Amino acid sequence: MEIRDVSKWYGTYPALRDVSLDLPTGIVGLLGPNGSGKSTLIKALLGLVSVDAGSGRVLECRWPEDVRILRDQVGYLPEDDCFIEGLQGIESIQMMARLSGLKSTEALRRSHEVADFCDMGQERYRTVDTYSTGMRQKLKFAQALVHDPQWLILDEPTTGLDPAQREQLLDRIAVLAHEKGKSVLLSTHILHDVQRVCDCVVILAAGQVCVVDSLENLQRPTQAGLQISVVSDVERLHQTLANQGIAVERSGPGELRVAGQGDAILQAIWRASRQSNVLIQRVAPSRNSLEQAFLDAVSMKTPSP
Amino acid sequence: MPILDVGYRPWDGTRTPRWTRGLVVAETGIRLVWRNAWLKRILLFMTIPALVVGAFVGAFEQTLDQSSAREAMQAMLRTPRARAVAERAGVDVQKVAKDPAQARHFAWSYLLFVLFRYPQAFGMILVLGLVAPRLVSYDLRSKGYLLYLSRPLTPAEYIAGKAGIVFFLLFMMAAVPSLLIYVAGLFLSTDSWAIAQTWDLPLRILAATLVLMIPTTAVALAMSSLTQESRYAGFAWFAFWVIGAVSYQVLWLASQVRRGMDPESMEILGEYNPWMLFSPYETLGYLQMQIFGLTRTDDWVWGPWILVVGTSVVGYALAYWRVARILKV
Repeated sequence: MEIRDVSKWYGTYPALRDVSLDLPTGIVGLLGPNGSGKSTLIKALLGLVSVDAGSGRVLECRWPEDVRILRDQVGYLPEDDCFIEGLQGIESIQMMARLSGLKSTEALRRSHEVADFCDMGQERYRTVDTYSTGMRQKLKFAQALVHDPQWLILDEPTTGLDPAQREQLLDRIAVLAHEKGKSVLLSTHILHDVQRVCDCVVILAAGQVCVVDSLENLQRPTQAGLQISVVSDVERLHQTLANQGIAVERSGPGELRVAGQGDAILQAIWRASRQSNVLIQRVAPSRNSLEQAFLDAVSMKTPSP
Repeated sequence: MPILDVGYRPWDGTRTPRWTRGLVVAETGIRLVWRNAWLKRILLFMTIPALVVGAFVGAFEQTLDQSSAREAMQAMLRTPRARAVAERAGVDVQKVAKDPAQARHFAWSYLLFVLFRYPQAFGMILVLGLVAPRLVSYDLRSKGYLLYLSRPLTPAEYIAGKAGIVFFLLFMMAAVPSLLIYVAGLFLSTDSWAIAQTWDLPLRILAATLVLMIPTTAVALAMSSLTQESRYAGFAWFAFWVIGAVSYQVLWLASQVRRGMDPESMEILGEYNPWMLFSPYETLGYLQMQIFGLTRTDDWVWGPWILVVGTSVVGYALAYWRVARILKV
């Protein structure tokens, strides 16, 4: 997908301002605070809201001119709780398949396959207005998948899911992207979801693109260092390390960040642990956390990878 | 748990043409409304008047060559009302009194018109009041429109699909029984020339059905699209018919009284008066009367046609605007 100079105004409020994006294949995380323009961008890509300016190409289609053709190749999971009252789950999936051009019998067969893939069980025969939030998310995911789209646009797909269901859904997304060759645009607030499955991250803030980079780059530390997690008195270990002349700082509750890497630093850490009698739980190369990158981007400070 | 879980499989079949996707909206909607038990009961109940009219057509055909039929026809045409209706339809009363078979076209048309005018029109109001208010308002409330419009559907196709649900019901209610009555009449007729005399009736039935379903569907969809609460749309639907009918009756009676005429003595069926434009029921009835050839041909009135076409255009445009506006925000 490549789009150029996309702008969208709601009256005097700019929802999107000169957004230009070249998205790679794989799973792309779309991050941003509330009101940053994520959902507007997604709806604009599908032609569900009209844009004031901008053009581009999406899946070999001219955008926004050919959005109707594009919609056959895109599976969209909306953030909104949307359903057709009175239809059973399986009928809802079949209807979406037929709207995307599958013949009736083929659509039903495919709907059952996708319902199995999404672990909908016998719930598929209940009317959708009786579904729980989690079931509705599964249903929307199945509806997005049923016509085998090349590109999945998932707007807050894990909302309302319990932890186990959330992990399963993320596994399914990873399978679709890495084993079935789908491209995925995953819009979410949940950084864990992005860290878990995404290859690339786009951060939107105030309707502008702040960051487009691979997750690996965003998590790479700005300088070499070690992240230490301790079980008990972190302040005592901090003091002991500082007394040894090692550059150390608090990086979170029960966590220290030590500048530099290598055996000498490691030996100094173990020594300080013994001296201060503080048990170290974990030592790992420090990373520039995605959360920090997100906060930097939101405050319009793009981190240097 | 599935007996066999094949995991995710790609699909590369042939897609149906894009222009057919709107039919899915209609088909899904029909499947949904058909689950309404009250709808089935009403439709079943509405077969009774159709059977009665069919029996009249059958009795007319079976008794044509009996002298008692001729006498009955002569007796009927002696009544001023029947004579007025027949003359207005261009029937040669003298000729028909001698040969009742000459009245076949008029008799069938009149019976079919009565079926359209009374049981089917009331049934239409009831069925659409039951079904139509939910068509768009439910989607607006549950954001179902996002599901439709995220697929290759335009708002116009969506509205056309929703209209297709109502068209289907009205076609089943109005056109199908009338066409069956016509076919039954042909089979029951002992005169092989019956088809030559009545060949135009199926076309008139289809035209009368179109006049019934196009404007009423437009009004129903417009009302449904204006609110997320289907009960408000339902209330507005019934109010539309009741207020129109009451306004017409009051205005017409007042005008007759002012002109010093006795309303009881007036034959209003088939006579055009401008007050009927206040009543959708009367307006549609007059148009159907024109379609069945039961009005005077020398004073063709355009007012009801303009009103119905205008209402239809405004109704569909309003429904389209409400749905399309979602995409224009």
